[in-house]
Amino acid sequence: MDRNKTLLTKSLLAGALSLSLAGGAIMASAQGVSAIETAKSQGVIGETWEGYIDFAKTPSDAVRDEVEALNIKRRAAYTQLASQRGATVQEVALKTACQIFAAKIQVGQAYLLPDKIWRVREGASPIARPDYCN
Amino acid sequence: MRSVTGMQGKFALLPMICGIALAGCIQVSAPDKPIEINLNINIRQEVMVKLEKDVETLITDNPELFPQ
Repeated sequence: MDRNKTLLTKSLLAGALSLSLAGGAIMASAQGVSAIETAKSQGVIGETWEGYIDFAKTPSDAVRDEVEALNIKRRAAYTQLASQRGATVQEVALKTACQIFAAKIQVGQAYLLPDKIWRVREGASPIARPDYCN
Repeated sequence: MRSVTGMQGKFALLPMICGIALAGCIQVSAPDKPIEINLNINIRQEVMVKLEKDVETLITDNPELFPQ
């Protein structure tokens, strides 16, 4: 949880920076998706029940930056949808996580449920969704 | 005669005194806030159901935010 808070704080700080450097951020994201995909496939980073990506293992600085930038963009998208629908940002984020857990986590990728234990998807059978999803 | 008038006067005052006393005890006034009937539960449910579809769209429309 502390790590999540740190991540969020850092993300918000980085967000202010990336807004002022939009051009740079676009370039970074073009490279970043593949770095993130690689780190995901290695189980270094993974999806969490909270709707953001977090670190299952210590990532490289580059991956850390990419993840934080991506989480800011996610938060912005969640915020926009939340305001359109009269929901809270957290509600949107949790709903998104349900969807990600149902469909997007591949074999070998790490994921974090509310028990805060990192697991790796082992086989083709579907992984447990967070219990708030149903 | 005088005393009877006096008695009548006292009885005449009694309802007034009661009235004043009651006015002090029971105050009926319109509430300053509107009366609220809570339908939030249904509305929340509806929001969450709609949200489920919105979130699917969000993920498919923004693949860069949700890399494999």
